Amino acid sequence: MADLDPSSFLPLPQAQFHVLVALTEGERHGYAIMQAVENSSDGIVRMGPATLYGTLKKLVDKGLVEEMEHRPEPDDDQRRRYYRLTGVGQRVCTAEADRLANLVRISRFNLRPGMG
Amino acid sequence: MPAPHPIYKSLLRLYPDSFRSHYGDDLVQQFADLVRDRGARAAWARTSVDLMVTVPRYRLETIMNEQHSATTVNIGITLLAVGGAVGVLTGLYPGIVPFVAAFGLAAAQRSTLARAIRTPDSHRRRRRLDIAAVLAVVFLASYVSLLSKDRWAGGEQMLIAIGVPAMVGAVVFLIAGLLTPRSPGGHPAPPIA
Repeated sequence: MADLDPSSFLPLPQAQFHVLVALTEGERHGYAIMQAVENSSDGIVRMGPATLYGTLKKLVDKGLVEEMEHRPEPDDDQRRRYYRLTGVGQRVCTAEADRLANLVRISRFNLRPGMG
Repeated sequence: MPAPHPIYKSLLRLYPDSFRSHYGDDLVQQFADLVRDRGARAAWARTSVDLMVTVPRYRLETIMNEQHSATTVNIGITLLAVGGAVGVLTGLYPGIVPFVAAFGLAAAQRSTLARAIRTPDSHRRRRRLDIAAVLAVVFLASYVSLLSKDRWAGGEQMLIAIGVPAMVGAVVFLIAGLLTPRSPGGHPAPPIA
């Protein structure tokens, strides 16, 4: 898994990228991921329960995210599942961020004042 | 302890067994959290769209890949809408049910949520034009069969029921395909300022 080329996962669906970004801040449970995605997208991406867990399932299947064995916060409901980025997940997230940054650079270059 | 939410819990039966058995408790927990924080109305508004988008997708994804499942959902909605419309126009008034269902599903598929889970498809234009071609062939085959004299009893209605939705679907996908921008080829990166 560690030898996988991150670019082979790109482009990522928007929801998957948002979840990876939410997990860059550390391990989180499902509801916390959903809230983080809502905040980072200014309320545009509002995931429902099945969208979130379907997305998490795909990311776990691809090896980009993993379920944690233990709960990082002992006070929390023990039935909640926590997730974190894997090493490949971090590299894929970085690669997707670079790809999007490059698109932004191209669009800003082409749309700069005085063009067209 | 999470609230039971029996209605939401029973709706989870619509999902594939594997998904439900692995994530069922998490889904109910998440729904309970939504109700607690946002209120029942907001939770149901969000979850209704979620159900309409994900149930057909996850069902299809158990038998085909993501890209094909998205296409199949679109074809299904088109056929449901056209079949319902043809039914109503020919006096089969229960046809309003699939027509309304198609309308609801189509609206859900256009939502931000549905777009967020869609895999970016660089071959969408080609795929839509391919579907238009397949539906056009189905229409032509139905039309040629209609002209043939040795039809079976009731074959005419059957051919109309297949041919008309196929014709409308072909036109819809042809227009959608032609309106879809070509995927960009190699784009030279601008110099870094």
